[in-house]
Amino acid sequence: MATRVAHVTLMSLLLAGLMITGCAKRPTTTTAAATAPAPAPRAAAPAPAPSQPAPSSGAAAAAPSAAAAAAPAQTPRPSPKEFMAVAALKEVYFDFDKYDIRPEDAKTLDTNATWLKSNADNLVLIEGHCDERGTNEYNLALGERRAKATMNYLVSQGIQANRITIISYGEERPVCTEHTEACWAKNRRASFLVKPR
Amino acid sequence: MRRTAIAALFTVLAVAAAVGLTAPPPPVRAQAPPDVYINVTGGGSTKLNIALPDFTVVSGSDAGGLSKLLPTVAGNDLTLSGLFSVVAGSDRIPANNPEALRQTWNNFAAAGAHAGVHGLMTIRGDRVEAELRLYDLTSPDQRLIASRKFDAAAPQPPTSSFDWRRRLAHKIADEIVLQFTGEKGVADTKISYVVGPSGAKEIVVADYDGFGVGPVTRNGSINLSPVWSPDARSIAFTSFMNGYPDLFRLFPFEPRRGVQTLSSFHGINSSPSWSPDGQFLALTLSKDGNPEIYILTIATGALQRLTRHGSIDTEPTWSPTGQQIAFVSDRAGQPRIFVMDRDGSNVRQLTNGGFHTQPRWSPKGDTIVYTQREGTHNLWAIDPGGTNARPLTTGQGDNQGATWAPDGRHLAFQSNRSGRWQVYMMLVDGTTTTQITSGAADSTSPAWSPRLP
Repeated sequence: MATRVAHVTLMSLLLAGLMITGCAKRPTTTTAAATAPAPAPRAAAPAPAPSQPAPSSGAAAAAPSAAAAAAPAQTPRPSPKEFMAVAALKEVYFDFDKYDIRPEDAKTLDTNATWLKSNADNLVLIEGHCDERGTNEYNLALGERRAKATMNYLVSQGIQANRITIISYGEERPVCTEHTEACWAKNRRASFLVKPR
Repeated sequence: MRRTAIAALFTVLAVAAAVGLTAPPPPVRAQAPPDVYINVTGGGSTKLNIALPDFTVVSGSDAGGLSKLLPTVAGNDLTLSGLFSVVAGSDRIPANNPEALRQTWNNFAAAGAHAGVHGLMTIRGDRVEAELRLYDLTSPDQRLIASRKFDAAAPQPPTSSFDWRRRLAHKIADEIVLQFTGEKGVADTKISYVVGPSGAKEIVVADYDGFGVGPVTRNGSINLSPVWSPDARSIAFTSFMNGYPDLFRLFPFEPRRGVQTLSSFHGINSSPSWSPDGQFLALTLSKDGNPEIYILTIATGALQRLTRHGSIDTEPTWSPTGQQIAFVSDRAGQPRIFVMDRDGSNVRQLTNGGFHTQPRWSPKGDTIVYTQREGTHNLWAIDPGGTNARPLTTGQGDNQGATWAPDGRHLAFQSNRSGRWQVYMMLVDGTTTTQITSGAADSTSPAWSPRLP
């Protein structure tokens, strides 16, 4: 009975809704290692402690992957760094959280398509961008949809799909950094870069 | 009756609570798990007052000041736990002096302490053996509740950003939380996050309390969305290091291990989320023409497509059972939170009437936290059945990008309430909010690690 009384009082600690399902016991003495788990071989030890820098990008990019990377046979992607801006290709803009081409921007894309037809030796990279509102991961998908919608419009105007590569930067590459609608409107865009075949 | 002592300790904080009884505890065995259990989800209005006087040096030279550092760091951990209030005072208790110990506890008890923590250290150079003793200061005989020994040593060779002393303090704090609640604390964990402005973001890792920041990536590119694998050994993330948004994996504690490419399909490779068993990664790919959710088998590279919808589907998050996945879709016009079964079937809409992203399923399974855009962004929580939607933050700038601590009680998130983006932590009831980062650059996208091995 004393035990039950103790239980009842125990259970009234801290909060309504908290629950104590046992009692204190005799003092126990156990030993725990505060260092990293010792038995693991050094190379594989989790050693959840030192924060060492990762290899620089060059080394990192070249490092072989131990895991089975999901990168099957696909046509190689041209490096975005090889593409250059060209004044003739104008950006198009989007409404907040939208990825459909607005009528006035369709005219811009018609002009861009005309240039691409007369410069058929150029490949084009379409970048999809978002403003800072919303959240990173969603905006990466939203930017992808904007680039894709832009690509689809150009293809509908007779540009070969295999000339076009798309990339989404989400909200990561704003052209304007003020927190205003005027600025956000400039950032919700698809832009065009080209490189010779 | 031995048990009345600890009962008295707890009842000083008592509020009326009718809770079911359980069977008497099993016989005490050496190394048995503690059998005092407090299940708490929030901070609670009442906390246990705990005293952590300077630790006693039994032998050796305390040149590193451990006798003050350990109780200070562990005391902060106990405060951050939301369960304890640390009683000030720093009496140094001499070794092997029961009367001095008794007087110290009398003083702390008079100051309102319910429990006392006494640490005894044997120091040999860069190695310390610390014995933790917990006392019930509400019992007439100041009963010893539990004791536990820890060994810690400086890593060889020394590493720059890892502070083994602070880690020892975190382990001590986690043990104290274990003794009083039945579940270890979350002080011995890390938080990874993204540092830098748009266009130049690198991933770093720090202790959960923000100390000991060290780099994870240093590639001069854009690195996003870090998430810890369930074994706390690796971080998956999105990076533009090869030009396009691909998924990679790094082992932050194994510096010789290079970066692994997890996924590099045409289009976006983003929003990684580890299955609870660590064998799978849910992710977003647009390789088939539209952002859709897939499951990648880490060992084989096999892909399973889960969503087939013309709208955006992204940001998967696993239930702790591994049987369900919550995600974001704009198929209802605006992004909302949906839930589907592990195979992509049985899709149902969880949230309504708003702009909802960043779902994060609690490791306890009972709550999904997400971000609602309402002019600014705020964190909300909802039960997995779609009821009880409630705000966790309000009226203080933008608050987004939540990540759960392994205890399912704490959240870290990013907020610009003080101007620049910084990482904060709070209890899931929205209390005990604490700023973790204070750097000159934006700190965003926190990822709270599982408990370290």
